[in-house]
Amino acid sequence: MSTLLSLRGVSKRFGGLLAVNGVSMDVAPGELVSIIGPNGAGKTTLFNLLTGQLTPSTGTIALRGAEINRLPPQARARLGFGRTFQIAQTLTTLTALENAMIGGFMHHRDLRGAAARAMAALELVGLQDRAGVKGSLLTLSERRRLEVARALALEPDIVLLDEVMAGLNPTEIGHMVHLVQTLNDGGLTFLVIEHNLKVVRQFSNRVLVLHRGAMLAHGTADEVLSNPAVVEAYVGKSRQ
Amino acid sequence: MSRSEAVSEVPAKAARVRCFTDELPLLAGVAAVLGGAVLLMAGDNFALNILATTFLMAGLATAWNVIGGFGGQFSLCHGVFFAEGAYLTANGVVHLGLSPWLSLAPAAVLGAVTALAISWPAFRLRGPFFAIATMTFSEVAYVLANYFDSVTGGAQGIRVPYHAGWLNMIFPGRIAYAWIMLGFLCCCLAASLLLLRSRLGYYLQAVRDNEAAAQASGIDVLRTKLLGFAISGGLTAIGGSVFMMYVRVVDPPTLLTLSDVGVRFALIALIGGVGTGYGPLLGALLVVPLEAWLRASVGAYVPGANLIVLGAVLVLAALFFRQGLAGALDRLLARRPGRRGAAAA
Ligand SMILES: Nc1ncnc2c1ncn2[C@@H]1O[C@H](COP(=O)(O)OP(=O)(O)OP(=O)(O)O)[C@@H](O)[C@H]1O
Ligand SMILES: [Mg+2]
Repeated sequence: MSTLLSLRGVSKRFGGLLAVNGVSMDVAPGELVSIIGPNGAGKTTLFNLLTGQLTPSTGTIALRGAEINRLPPQARARLGFGRTFQIAQTLTTLTALENAMIGGFMHHRDLRGAAARAMAALELVGLQDRAGVKGSLLTLSERRRLEVARALALEPDIVLLDEVMAGLNPTEIGHMVHLVQTLNDGGLTFLVIEHNLKVVRQFSNRVLVLHRGAMLAHGTADEVLSNPAVVEAYVGKSRQ
Repeated sequence: MSRSEAVSEVPAKAARVRCFTDELPLLAGVAAVLGGAVLLMAGDNFALNILATTFLMAGLATAWNVIGGFGGQFSLCHGVFFAEGAYLTANGVVHLGLSPWLSLAPAAVLGAVTALAISWPAFRLRGPFFAIATMTFSEVAYVLANYFDSVTGGAQGIRVPYHAGWLNMIFPGRIAYAWIMLGFLCCCLAASLLLLRSRLGYYLQAVRDNEAAAQASGIDVLRTKLLGFAISGGLTAIGGSVFMMYVRVVDPPTLLTLSDVGVRFALIALIGGVGTGYGPLLGALLVVPLEAWLRASVGAYVPGANLIVLGAVLVLAALFFRQGLAGALDRLLARRPGRRGAAAA
């Protein structure tokens, strides 16, 4: 099995805090890996290391065998990373369509090509009827789905979703799960940070549990979620 | 076949965005109306001068808007590019006997290159710090202009002798200058609209709205800002060139006084509607004639009163037209069909 993305002893230190601590893992093309862990476990920081918003303090990140540790975010986007942000980063003065077009321009220099790509992405997340609405007027749920649309408009090889289900109603969550599964079945690779364990169980090939920056457990959803250490650190704690 | 075409056309139609070609009818209409104003005023030199100045300032504010509006980078050093254009053209005429027309393209290149040189370090800063840094460049240029008198004529200024003729861009009547300024304005509007409806224009707006989102979408933020600044600086320098031939004598205060040049481009764009295609033009149409009228009427009795009134206009615009005149106009036009719908219901 070939490897798309590989991490070796990746750590990130913020002053005295080791936010990500020696994470190693491989992601094969077409996999859907969920990352779970309590608040402050380092999940978003790990995403930021992968997509270049942050650079690792130690360790290596490689895409298709080539090290990408020091590449800036825009270069990683061009290599095939698409991502959403936990706090939706909406372009507030542009319409929903134009927001998605910013992604569409990656592979389509011309306006019409980018717009067609963007519209297709909006349809995937169910925002086609909101295409002409300014970003500042979109609801929280719409903004989250717009994040996904912009990432998909990039036509990425690997998509990183940071808690995209938060703020969505049950119907919208159903749609989003279905969309991710459909795209994943089509061969698109996903890394998903998700707090909703039902969703995690439903669609993950593998689950990675982060706790205080380190990998606490790693395996199939059933294995990981029945692991006593995980129940102790994550499930147990969040129920308190 | 027609059936499958119809099916495949649905998303393309839904995804329709305004292209540059969609902008052409309005642009042609605006040019025709402004041209009509020039024809109407033919013979009235006072009015023609106001029109020429309005068009020039509208063009310069439109040029500023490319980086200040679309790109959201609040530059206060556009007087530098303006001065460069003026000095380049004057020196071409005085020292080389070059037709001013031939210096327009080199002026644009000089303005663009200087813009790159200034903004490359300045873009390490953000928001107000960027604005202050660019202001510093403008003040340094002022000092340099006074110092290098072989190029600028120093404090005495540089003069282009009067030799009327098309080739010399010097005319006995004022109407020709109104046409030239209108030409400059139309070039700036066309360039700005072309940019607004292009990938670079969208990238500039993305960078303005959210750098993190822009980068995650594969946009090189620094490169985008630099390109926007270069285009803006190049257009501004052309404005300096035509201004030189309009007044034929310039000194450093005329070209580089911050409040009269760099800040003014920005203010006009802000009043008219920053980041919109026609906002800077609307701003100039309001501010320049108003200024001229105030100077002639109120300013004649109470020196400085014209500035007080103008300041009040700025404050009012900032309070009530947050998106400038263009935004207010937009809302007005958007309200009309809504009213009709409400009346029908
Ligand atoms: N830029 C930063 N500078 C300093 N500390 C940071 C920075 N970013 C994150 N941290 C800290 O690193 C730790 C991990 O944060 P991170 O956002 O990665 O957690 P998370 O697992 O995504 O949590 P959540 O579920 O709340 O989103 C936290 O303690 C956080 O305060
Ligand atoms: Mg997080």
